[in-house]
Amino acid sequence: MASPGSREWRAVCDKFRDAQNLSDVESRKDPENEPFRSKYKARELLREIHGALKAFGGGGGEDDDTDADGDGDAGSAFGRGWPGDSERGMRAARLGVVEYCLGVNHVETEELSAGEEHLMNCLKLLHKFSVTDSNVSLSIQVRNQLGILWAGRDETEKAQGFLETAEAIYAYYMKEAGQPPMDLTDFFVLEEDQLSQQEKTKRFEMAYTHTMYYLAQVYKNVQQYERAGQYCHSTLQRQLQFNQFEPMEWAINAATLSQYYITKSRFMEGRHCLAAAGVIADLAGEVPSEAAAQENEAEYEKREQLRQKRADIARCWIKYCLNLLQDAKKLLEDNIGELDPDRQAEMKRARRNEEEEKEQGRKSAVLFGSSDTFDSICALEEKVSCTFPLEFEEARAIFLVGQEYVNQAKEYFQMDGHVTDHIEILQDHSALFKVLAFFEEDLERRCKMHKRRVDMLEPICKDLNAHHYLLVCRQLQFELAEAYNEMMNLKLSLADRQDDLDAHTVKKFNFLCASSIKYYQMFLDSLRSPDGKFPDQLENDVLRPALVAKFCVARLQSKIITTSLSVQLENLNRSLEDYSFVVQYCEQHPEAKNAAETELELSEEMLTLLPLKINRIQAKMATSN
Amino acid sequence: FFFKFSSDGDNIKVYVRVRPLTQGTGLTTDGDRSLCLTVTPPNTIRLHSKPEPRTFTYDHVAGMDTSQEAVFSCVAKNIVESCMNGYNGTIFAYGQTGSGKTFTMLGPSDFDNLTDELRGLIPRSFEYLFFLIGREVEKSGNLKSFLCKCSFIEIYNEQIYDLLDSASASLFLRENIKKGVFVDGAVEKFVTSAAEAYQVLEMGWRNRRVASTSMNRESSRSHAVFTVTLESKEMDGQLVNIRTSQLNLVDLAGSERQKDTHVEGSRLKEASSINRSLMCLGQVIMALMDVSNGKSRHICYRDSKLTFLLKDSLGGNAKTCIIANVHPGSRCFGETWSTLQFAQRAKLIKNKAMINEDTQGNIQ
Repeated sequence: MASPGSREWRAVCDKFRDAQNLSDVESRKDPENEPFRSKYKARELLREIHGALKAFGGGGGEDDDTDADGDGDAGSAFGRGWPGDSERGMRAARLGVVEYCLGVNHVETEELSAGEEHLMNCLKLLHKFSVTDSNVSLSIQVRNQLGILWAGRDETEKAQGFLETAEAIYAYYMKEAGQPPMDLTDFFVLEEDQLSQQEKTKRFEMAYTHTMYYLAQVYKNVQQYERAGQYCHSTLQRQLQFNQFEPMEWAINAATLSQYYITKSRFMEGRHCLAAAGVIADLAGEVPSEAAAQENEAEYEKREQLRQKRADIARCWIKYCLNLLQDAKKLLEDNIGELDPDRQAEMKRARRNEEEEKEQGRKSAVLFGSSDTFDSICALEEKVSCTFPLEFEEARAIFLVGQEYVNQAKEYFQMDGHVTDHIEILQDHSALFKVLAFFEEDLERRCKMHKRRVDMLEPICKDLNAHHYLLVCRQLQFELAEAYNEMMNLKLSLADRQDDLDAHTVKKFNFLCASSIKYYQMFLDSLRSPDGKFPDQLENDVLRPALVAKFCVARLQSKIITTSLSVQLENLNRSLEDYSFVVQYCEQHPEAKNAAETELELSEEMLTLLPLKINRIQAKMATSN
Repeated sequence: FFFKFSSDGDNIKVYVRVRPLTQGTGLTTDGDRSLCLTVTPPNTIRLHSKPEPRTFTYDHVAGMDTSQEAVFSCVAKNIVESCMNGYNGTIFAYGQTGSGKTFTMLGPSDFDNLTDELRGLIPRSFEYLFFLIGREVEKSGNLKSFLCKCSFIEIYNEQIYDLLDSASASLFLRENIKKGVFVDGAVEKFVTSAAEAYQVLEMGWRNRRVASTSMNRESSRSHAVFTVTLESKEMDGQLVNIRTSQLNLVDLAGSERQKDTHVEGSRLKEASSINRSLMCLGQVIMALMDVSNGKSRHICYRDSKLTFLLKDSLGGNAKTCIIANVHPGSRCFGETWSTLQFAQRAKLIKNKAMINEDTQGNIQ
């Protein structure tokens, strides 16, 4: 081995630095027709270094290679063989670094087999030595690369093996040693150019963060979603811990993770991700003022970006509140969708018991944060509950948080410029009202909540161009029809308590019926072909909505209150027609039966009952004439 | 209870065209006469892959000897007609550089020859559109009038550039409750004939080339979208009926350039060691969510500019066709295979939207 500081050694170090520079910096400027020019130059230098190392270091000893193929036996990776920090160990690691660089270089220039060979050489060199601070970083990084390589060849299991070994090596090293290990570049620098301890730690930890990141992808690819989620979480946590992140990007990733948790009804984790996203997003800096944005294009884009992403995080919060309320509703409702007091009492008891137990263990496992941000994240979490609301006041508290985020999100996603997003937010707002109404016991007030839904959606439904927003229009029509329908039902329940109906109530009631019918009908009309024909065969995606709409229209028709027998007869006949549409359609298209089972059953029942009623009215009319 | 609303898959037609083998295309296949595929009219293509050959089926497959007129009749005629009836239409061209995309869309490289038998689908669409306009106007006894505008933009690296105003900075997509999605500030040129429309196209096309050298952008990495907006006005007594529709002609980035961004099975996204950014992590998390359907959630990652711009064309009441161009040479096997796979996936493109409906509330 050439002595440190010798001229030969100095030349090797220079070459290594040049090779790195060519590979990382120069290669980005390579011309299109010679895309790998700098990489090839770097490769030449690495080969020279390799040759020089062999010449320095009495290559004899290394030739007794044992086969390290596959890396399956994790035990061997920790090398109970030669001490890694012996002179032989150092020499092997040094050669290993060059093999590693050559491997990466070949992979990057699309020579995968050659790349694999070099990476395996590196692995073989390390194989005989124990894990120490000199080779641990290399051991992890070479396995990261092999993981990427094999995943690219669709051999996911092999990739998983390498990456999981890397993970185990990290855990072993941190337990046994834990001092800042050498970086790959440390092998080829002169004493005075050594990296700082802090920098060494940073690079080492980053390599392991990448292991987590690749494992997250591998687990996703082998459909171990739960695990993939955990590794995404760890990756984010490590980025934060070692201050290796772009704030906005991190925040968006955490907000996305929250959406994963809420789809799994894990609201504690979801809330934690969102609180962290909010705190970290603030680190991305101030939003440039409108004036600054008008003067400068870069400021304009920065303003847009920051505002949009914050609005996006607000929208993730809306979904959090919405899902929490909706899940609670599902737990509390009886078979006709009303609040079940027995269930409520039972759940309240269960909650008291749980509070006594305290889920501390679970909570500590999911925490994000570094010492700087931890308190802020916890403070943000306090603002909204993560347990199911069991009564109106609790539901209202969550609703209000959701509504606040609705307003925040609307500030950026305004109708003018962001139609689709704006409407989606309004739809969520409407859904928040709808689920809040479930918890409300006072029917009048409940009705008012649905009225709020109508008020926010109706004007848009009127103005929106169906040519460009067909699907959104259909959603709005359906939701409006349904909101009016619910209002009608509530009025009906209220009317049942009264002895006789005054003209005003009747008028109101009929208006609600008619409005609901109008929107269901609009939806049904949107299915017609350009020449106005209703399709013989409904597309799968609209099959259920269309049958439900027909069914609801039938039901609403028959409920309209009128003193005129002839009008009533007319309404009932229409109703009959729509019920029989549902039944006939299902007869002709048996696959539709499953889509609207309950509606079909009720329609069939009505087909036997309605004619009797119609006959009665006809008889009555005949006698009165 | 949740419903999904989506457009029917039939809205997107996929047409595959195989170019003939010729010398001097600059492709590595020159001189090699062996083929990697066989065409079985009217709709299947057999790729000589190993160990087993693979058969792909599309709406239509055009062999090497298909004429330009035949391609036009099969692909564009119907779409132009429905534009006249107020529907949006989009034609995408996709394929490896050298697979015949430009030839299919424009024709031979010398531009201003509108009578050439070899002229492509775009000039033919212009001619047909203005022929239909003339006929309609005449039929209505001048009660109906048409206004035709063209715009031409390029999407490169998720930035939008106006090809009719090469001096402009990048533009933004916006939405309006009445007119849907549009590029804010894009130049629109009024045209009254096929020749004028063609001139606009030509001008933009030239800018695209200029841009590719001056800004180090490469045309095969960008998507170009040429849009014809048609507005018809009809006098019906006192009432004036106005209808608008759009015809989008899209030249997608060369498929060989998309290697990196494509879905490629199980490949892992890398992160370089100096990078603080792990962009792909979000994609991983999103993929986890797609398996747990039913719940309402918000995805923070925006659509690509191209899909957002063509939102209307990928769902709802629009007509869309994708022309996948392939080169039959054996050496193009890899590219051809990926193009055919892309075309197959394109059949599955659906524009989904959810509706939330509570059955319990409806039945009492």
